[in-house]
Amino acid sequence: MPGTEDAVLRCEGLRKSFGASVAVDGLGFHIGEGETYGLLGPNGAGKTTSISMISGVLARDGGEVLIDGEPLTGGSVRLKSKIGYVPQDLAVYPDLTGRENLRFFARLYGLNRRDAARRVDEVLEVVGLSDRAKDLAKNYSGGMQRRLNVALGLLHRPRLLILDEPTAGVDPQSRNSILDSVAQLAAQGMAILYTTHYMEEAERLCDRVGIIDQGRLRAEGTQRELVALVGEQDHVTLTGDGDLEALSARLAELDEVTGAGVTDGRIEVFTHDARALLPRLLHVAEAEGTTVRSVQVVEPDLEAVFLHLTGKALRD
Amino acid sequence: MKALAIAGTELRMMLRDRGSVFFIFLMPMMLILVVGVAFGSGGDARVGLVVQDGGPLAARMAAELRELSGLRVRVVSDVEDLTADVERGRLEAGVVIPDGYDRAVRAGSAGVVRFVSREGAMDGVRLGFRVQAVAGQETERLKAARYAASQGDGPLDEMLARADRTAPSVPEVAVETVTVGEEQIYADAEQFDVGASQQLVLFIFLTAMNGSVAMIVSRRLGIANRMLATPTPVRTILAGTALARVGLALFQGLVLMIGSAALFGVGWGSPAGAAALLVAFCLAGGGAAMLAGAIFRTEQQVNGVGLLLSLGLGALGGSMMPMEFFSPALRTVAFLIPHGWANDGFAVLVLEGGGLGDILVNVGVLLAYAAVLLALGTWLLRRALLSGVR
Repeated sequence: MPGTEDAVLRCEGLRKSFGASVAVDGLGFHIGEGETYGLLGPNGAGKTTSISMISGVLARDGGEVLIDGEPLTGGSVRLKSKIGYVPQDLAVYPDLTGRENLRFFARLYGLNRRDAARRVDEVLEVVGLSDRAKDLAKNYSGGMQRRLNVALGLLHRPRLLILDEPTAGVDPQSRNSILDSVAQLAAQGMAILYTTHYMEEAERLCDRVGIIDQGRLRAEGTQRELVALVGEQDHVTLTGDGDLEALSARLAELDEVTGAGVTDGRIEVFTHDARALLPRLLHVAEAEGTTVRSVQVVEPDLEAVFLHLTGKALRD
Repeated sequence: MKALAIAGTELRMMLRDRGSVFFIFLMPMMLILVVGVAFGSGGDARVGLVVQDGGPLAARMAAELRELSGLRVRVVSDVEDLTADVERGRLEAGVVIPDGYDRAVRAGSAGVVRFVSREGAMDGVRLGFRVQAVAGQETERLKAARYAASQGDGPLDEMLARADRTAPSVPEVAVETVTVGEEQIYADAEQFDVGASQQLVLFIFLTAMNGSVAMIVSRRLGIANRMLATPTPVRTILAGTALARVGLALFQGLVLMIGSAALFGVGWGSPAGAAALLVAFCLAGGGAAMLAGAIFRTEQQVNGVGLLLSLGLGALGGSMMPMEFFSPALRTVAFLIPHGWANDGFAVLVLEGGGLGDILVNVGVLLAYAAVLLALGTWLLRRALLSGVR
């Protein structure tokens, strides 16, 4: 895990209220170079408000945002060139072509004409829209508009890319394309802040995840750290022919196993690391003369963690 | 440069839309044409003539009417058609020389010529006087000929011919006309002049208000937020937005001025004066659009309230009727809004032949309006952008 001192993004104590309603309450985290940090929470948790403050779009009531150690303030125009912002809205001009949209924002990012032309071609390639660059954005499918939305945030090669639910409402093909692009950018060293309420996306992309609810960061860490934090265990279900009671008793004696028993003709085994246990489990079964018919491993996921931490499901 | 990019992008989108092009350029040109043709004071007055009598005296009366300058006389087959044409505005007036006219005049009775015009029409009143003058001349000729005939000099027709021969050598009583005060009705204006400047003012403001939709759409789609996330100062974004509003108004104004001059021969008076007035009014319109873009939250509000406001201010400011027809109270109201100052300024330039010096007050007042509206609109829009209000 990168140290906070060399983090690309560091935010501390972010606060924002709208009237009496507190949207973000003391949020703080950091992201290092090449790291993808997921901000996971249900709708209304404060993800978009947090991102708006971090990208300098929304004034904050309190707290600090540092980009490469420099504080982002209302007048930090130059510092914004290090940030790529991909809002949740499809923030593109429908009556301009894909290329015209990109050219326009390239100018706002300060690219000269030649660099802009080259970068427009490059990002069109990255998001797979080169062959539709001359079409009006309003004639794009929803997925293509989402990809254009992402492309606009990449034009100036930002140090930090902020993506606010970039796959909301897109088809599986476009979703995969966007996720692949994000993974590729992280591999190139870009720091990425990714908000989503899709657990699978956070699990697939993010090195670390922060769980946000009601404007507060409830927990953060790698997926495994989060799972361990709340004490959830892997669950292995085994079916087979032979003396299942004897096998269950034998498995319960193993150090890695925290509990085992027979239920409805199946052996249920609980462990902290099912993947590590699995070869030994099969070896013991063979030694006990049990023919294993099936093995099912259920690892605790972020959904379970979120449920544990907040008492509600991610998509409530 | 970034401000120019913002303004250029908005203008490009606006001009790419065929509906907008029709609304911004073609519709005002069509209205200039329609208003000029329907109400313009230029050109010959159209007078219908029904001659029911076949006698030489009726024919002479008809010929006298046809020879009047500034009249386009069209023979109409019957009185019903004539009445209908006058009622519907296809003719300014009509004259009927009834059956029996010739016989009555020869018998020494009063000849009656019927004059038809619309109730309260100024053109009709003026034309009525001219027809009466022709009738008066004919009466004098008949009186002279009848007197000579009664003295036994010869038959009436011969005496009429003698009267015609003698008339040029008879001295007339001339009327010397002295005019005082200022002309109130634009009698000397070309056919399209009045309507063109009125439509220009009306449509520049209307388009500016309609253009404020772009600011609302930009906020609704999140494009404004996206711009804020780029290394572009808020003041640049606001400047680009204002530039788009004013730039569109100026472009529209120039196209309408040049187009109406080329197509309809509209004279805009002093180029310096017209340019100053156009720029000042476009700045005021742009300021109003910025204000509307900051205050209104939805496109529907702009389309509804903005349209009513534009038409209402246009009507009060003399864009639908020359302010010379306004009551003193309404005229005072007209000068409380930018339209009144703009229309008054164009009237001075176009109809009175004034120059820049004659409209400095108008330009100054419009610039003051522009300063207030732009400052207020920019401040409110900045607040809306930074507070994340959509």
